Amino acid sequence: MSVKSKSIQEKTAELNELVAWFDGDDFVLETALEKFKDAEKLAGEIETDLRAVQNEIQIVKQKFDADIA
Amino acid sequence: MKVIITATPKLTQWGKFSLTVKAIRPSGEGSLKKSFDLLKEKLDKEGLFAPERKRQIPSIPQRIAVISSTQAAGYADFIKIVNDRWGGVVIDVAHVQVQGEAAPDQIIRALKYFNSRETVADIIVIIRGGGSADDLSAFNDELLVREIAASRIPTVVGVGHEIDESLADLAADVRAATPSNAAQLVVPDRHEIIRATRSRVQSLLPRMDRIIIQQREQTHETIERMLESIDSRVQKYSDELVQTRRVIAELDPKRVLDRGYAILRGSKKIGETIAIETDHDIIKAEVLHVSKK
Repeated sequence: MSVKSKSIQEKTAELNELVAWFDGDDFVLETALEKFKDAEKLAGEIETDLRAVQNEIQIVKQKFDADIA
Repeated sequence: MKVIITATPKLTQWGKFSLTVKAIRPSGEGSLKKSFDLLKEKLDKEGLFAPERKRQIPSIPQRIAVISSTQAAGYADFIKIVNDRWGGVVIDVAHVQVQGEAAPDQIIRALKYFNSRETVADIIVIIRGGGSADDLSAFNDELLVREIAASRIPTVVGVGHEIDESLADLAADVRAATPSNAAQLVVPDRHEIIRATRSRVQSLLPRMDRIIIQQREQTHETIERMLESIDSRVQKYSDELVQTRRVIAELDPKRVLDRGYAILRGSKKIGETIAIETDHDIIKAEVLHVSKK
């Protein structure tokens, strides 16, 4: 997950910044709609990434009823 | 207290019988309980269970090491819940016995294995489904408890039902009530994160609505003030116009004639003809005499 989880985390951080902008002093109505659409798009991507990513399960070949090397 | 002894018997030629003891373990629930309490007290005094030793586990692990029996229901539950809740994690599984005499040793070997690997896991999870108190005895093994306490990787132990508590639970960084609970503790819930993310974005809409309404109201107020100002100016100019018209009307020569005055046109030399305009007539007359007032 390392690349994807960084990607999801980066997207989440970017979304947090966008949401914070709406509460900040820099809020401008003319650009708000565009930023809202960016936020929606990011949220959609995060949802897609989260749903798609799978775990990788590996059974260790090592036997534990004998001394480990 | 009753114990079970594993020993090798010996009978000499002189009839002397002896036992060479290889292992002693308590037997029966009463003995088990007493043994448990004594060991718990001893390890507690050494500080193995101290709260300040407990480490936090990462909220989003990249790699999880699992020590369990892959045939156990608890393991299947753990994997199912982890897969449902989160993704992208590498899960390394060490298959060991989780009950019986061989269990503590195998779990210790697995712990040493994960702690010595180059690729270090973020968490070690030791899990087992519930059973009788005797079945949990492996997790009260002193050497195992010490190995858990000494693990350089944070440990989560989920080896019983809600009410069971083993010494391994106490030594771990995090105790899970059950294997399912362990899965809930080690990974976040992607469904909850998706829901919360959607909710955050949707919450922007009412904010924007409020700001648009505010802006609209401000604009209305500004326009109203402008219209009032225009009205006021128009009224002022209208009043001025009325006033000017009155003045102009007063200066109208016809008004002067209506008051009985006359307009004389022509040269004022004696003998010349002049025209005299009154309100109704135009009279021609001859200049007979001119003098200064």
